[in-house]
This record gives sequence, structure tokens and C-alpha cells, in this order.
Amino acid sequence: MVRHRADYLYVAPAVLVMVLVIAYPVWFTFYLSMFSTPPNLALEDKIFVGLDNYARILGADSVHEASLNTLVWTVASTALAFVLGFGAALALNRPFRGRGLLRGILLVPYVISAVAAAYVWRWLLHSDLGVLSALAMATGLRSQPFNFLDNTDTVLASLIMVNVWKEFPFVMIMMLAGLQTVPDQLLRAAQVDGAGPWQRFWHITVPHLGNVSLVTVLLLLAANFNGFTIPWVMTGGGPAGASEIWITQIYQLAFGRIRFGLASAYSVILFAVMMTMGYFYVRALVGRDRAS
Amino acid sequence: MRRGFWPLAGWLYLGLLAVFSLLPMAWMLITSVKTQFAAIQFPPEWIPSHPTLDAYAELLSPGREIGRVFLRYLLNSLWVSTATTVLGVIVAVPAAYAFSRFRFPGRNLLFYGVLLRNMFPAVVFLMPLFIMMRFLGLVNTQLSLILTYLTFGLPLSIWLLKGFFDNIPIQLEQAARIDGASRFKAFLLVVMPLSSPGIIATAIYSFIQAWNEYVYALTFLNDDAKLTLPVGLQHFFTEYATNWPGLMAASFIMSVPVVAMFLVLQKYFVRALTDGAVKS
Repeated sequence: MVRHRADYLYVAPAVLVMVLVIAYPVWFTFYLSMFSTPPNLALEDKIFVGLDNYARILGADSVHEASLNTLVWTVASTALAFVLGFGAALALNRPFRGRGLLRGILLVPYVISAVAAAYVWRWLLHSDLGVLSALAMATGLRSQPFNFLDNTDTVLASLIMVNVWKEFPFVMIMMLAGLQTVPDQLLRAAQVDGAGPWQRFWHITVPHLGNVSLVTVLLLLAANFNGFTIPWVMTGGGPAGASEIWITQIYQLAFGRIRFGLASAYSVILFAVMMTMGYFYVRALVGRDRAS
Repeated sequence: MRRGFWPLAGWLYLGLLAVFSLLPMAWMLITSVKTQFAAIQFPPEWIPSHPTLDAYAELLSPGREIGRVFLRYLLNSLWVSTATTVLGVIVAVPAAYAFSRFRFPGRNLLFYGVLLRNMFPAVVFLMPLFIMMRFLGLVNTQLSLILTYLTFGLPLSIWLLKGFFDNIPIQLEQAARIDGASRFKAFLLVVMPLSSPGIIATAIYSFIQAWNEYVYALTFLNDDAKLTLPVGLQHFFTEYATNWPGLMAASFIMSVPVVAMFLVLQKYFVRALTDGAVKS
């Protein structure tokens, strides 16, 4: 195909906008991470501190505590959403009446605004008036209302549950699409040869889902690692930092305490972890393209 | 295998999952038709004994304080989301067309760059963007949100649209060009009409994203009158009490159009969103 210089004109507006709003901020975050910024954000008064900000972030106890929370939050949300969503995809992957409606119902959590979801879950998990407490009492599981969000032992688990509720439909539609690529003839041939449901599942279905699972899991990991709205609206990191994760700490540092330099260094550290994940993500995608 | 253990287990599982999915929406609706007094009873009334639409009436009456504020946020959200959507389509359509049709150096790199955007945390972009917006004098304007949503929505819009363009046979354009149409004219008269369902689906998707966005709106706007709905919801919390019926009614009004639009068009979204991940 002949190349036309004009071809670039079609892409130019999109590229320009993205360079301005993506490449520049990335560079600026690196730059700012080496300065101490004044609380009024008068940037001409910033002071060069080298790698001091990094040392302070990496040495802070609160950051260490949030690291474990971040790990648990990211991994548990991803694993549970994947299992729940994959199960739903498997159960939906056969023709029956009302299948479209059921899929629609299960997609509702994914579509609804995260803020509205966070508020309604705060209401469901309310310490004195919550529906979940009332349900537990009505079924005789508990005699007292249960304090989900003001309890340092259960707050993170509660947030993970809400996050899983929000995300499992995404896994469901991805895996459902993946399941449709599994050749029917192969499954039937295996059945004729006497393979049971488990054998068909493990030896035919699962190997066909490698790529789509990889992409889905990595997208989930990225989304959870960056998840902000649910923890911020539901607990703001509390009580006593028990649900604090990196992202909520960065936001608090930047816009609560107006320490942009310090928060930028924290962001760069988060970037580094992200980029490592991103590297695998792109490699998985490129690998898939080559295979096709 | 019509009967047996697995189909039954599947039904049971889907049933439980459906309850889990719908419980929050259901309780939102139930709380929204209670009075404040009924809403804070414990144990709660599972079915409201005296259902009332008072919370909705209050939200939608411009004469009441709470209605005035809510309607303003609703209009703000509509304006920001609509502007984002229209501008987004104008920029994304040509780019997606180029990605679908042309082979140019750096095409792949650029496209993976576009996808990589998904990996970057919004919160990390906040500080540089905040400073940039301050420099441009855009802090506390809705334009700052429109520009941000526009750029952050582009990667996915381009990805969705490219999928739709890929499905239109290139021969149709070639035929038009043989008949003397310029490339642009062929694009405008052949490709655009054929891909209009895809363009509409993409537009609605970016509308939903802008409508639901929280963290940028929380950070860039501080003038009460300019807030969008997701941030405005915090108004239902006061120092003394939370207006739960009001909050739930507002959340319901905010959620229903979005859920409805998505469900009507779910076929397109599901196909477009998953196409890239399963093609092999």
C-alpha cells in the first residue's frame, strides 16, 4: 500500500491531545518528585531535594502498612472477581430461555456509577441500620448488628467484597466471549470418545482460554491497583488506616496535605510497579497478535 | 445433557449471583420510597408500609433548596457528558479509521501506547493536570473536566470504533474510489453511514464514562454551583444526619438512564469490548 503523508492527519488530533495530557504529565511527575513544594503550590518557590522524597516515602511506616493492604486489596479483588465472573460465564454459556435477561441483570453492577454503588453499599453495611446486619439477625446468624466498616478486622474485606461485586461482570463478558471461541465439534468429539464434563473442561475448554484469561487478569490487576472511588467514598482509608491503600494515600498527600513533591515521588514508585505490570500486558498482547 | 447435576448447579449459582447483583439496586429503590423516619428503623421494613415519592418530588422541585441544588448538578452533569461525547466522536472517528485502514510506521507502537493508557492510574495524573489546568486558568471550570474526559476516553473510543471499521469490507470504499470519490468522500459517504450503530454505541459509552466519573470532578471543581452529580451526592451528608431516602433517590435517578442505555445496547458493547481480547 502506498503511504500518504495525509494519512497522519487522521491520527494527528488524537496523538496531539494524548501527548499533551499523557506524556507531559508523566514527565512532570518525575520532575516534581525531586522537589519540595510549598503548601500554597507557588511552584517558583519549590526547593530541589534530589531523591529525598523517595527516601521519605520508602521509609514511612504508614506506607509500609498500606503496602500490605494494597497487595491484599489488589490480589484478592482480582482473584475473587475472576473466579466469580468465570463461573457466571460457564453457567451462561449454554442456550436457555431468559439467558439475555440474566446476562443483563448480572451486568448492572458493572454499569452503575462507582460513587452511587459506594454510597448504597455504605448504607447496606451501615453499623446500626445496615440491611446485611438485619439479614444476619433475621436468619439467626447474629444477635447484634455487625460493624463492617468501622471495624479494623473487617473493613478491608468489606471493601474487597464491594469491589468484586462491581467487577465480576467484566470478567463474565470477557470469558463468555472467550468461551464462544472454543470449537463445539471438539467438545462433541470428546464426548463421543467418552470424556466426562470435567475432562472436557480441563483438556479442551481451559487451554482455549489462555489468552483471554491473561488479558482479563492483567486488566483487573491494573484497575484494582488504581482503584480509588470505592475505598475513598466508603471509608477514606479508615478506621485508623485499616483500609488505606497506596492510591488513597497519594490522594490524601497531594490534595489533603498539599504535598505535591512527596506525592509525586510516591506516584513514581507506583508507576514503576505499574510499568512492570504493563510490560507483561503489552507482551501478552503482542504475543497474541503474532500467533494469529 | 439436558438434565443432571451441572445445569442445576449452574442455575443455583446464577440465581445467587443475580440476587447479589441486584440487592444494592433493590435496596436503593426501597429506601428511596420511604420517609426519613421509616428509613432509619431497625430492623428495617423490608417492604415499605407507606411508600411515598416525596424524596423524588423534593429532588425535582426547583422551589425547594435540595431540588434547586440537585437539578443544577443534573444539568452540569448533562452538559459535561454531552460536550465530552460530541468532541470525543469528532476526534476518535478519524483516528480509528486510520488505525483500521492505513499501514504507517509506528502504527502498532502508537496503538499499544493507546491501550497502555488503561494501565496508568488516574490519581497519579491528577497533580500534573491540576497544575496544568491552573496554569491555563481552567481550575474550577467545567472545561477542565471536558478536556480531561475527552483525552482519557479517547483510547477506548478509538479501540471500539476500530473494531467497527474493521468489519466494513474495504471493497466498498474501493468501489467508491473507482467511481471517482476522494478518500475523504468515500469515508464520509460509504464508511460513516455503515458504521453509525458503532459510532452511536461508542458515543453512549463515552457519555456513560463521563457521567459516572468521580475523581477528577472531585479535584478540579470546588465551586458548589459547578459540581457534577457524582461529587454532588456528598450534599446529602450533613453533620447531624444523612438524608438516606434523598441520597438513594438521587443515586437512583443518576443510575437508571445509564443502566437502561447500557442494557439496550449491551450487544454492541459486549462485542466491541471483547473482540480484541479473544481474536486469535
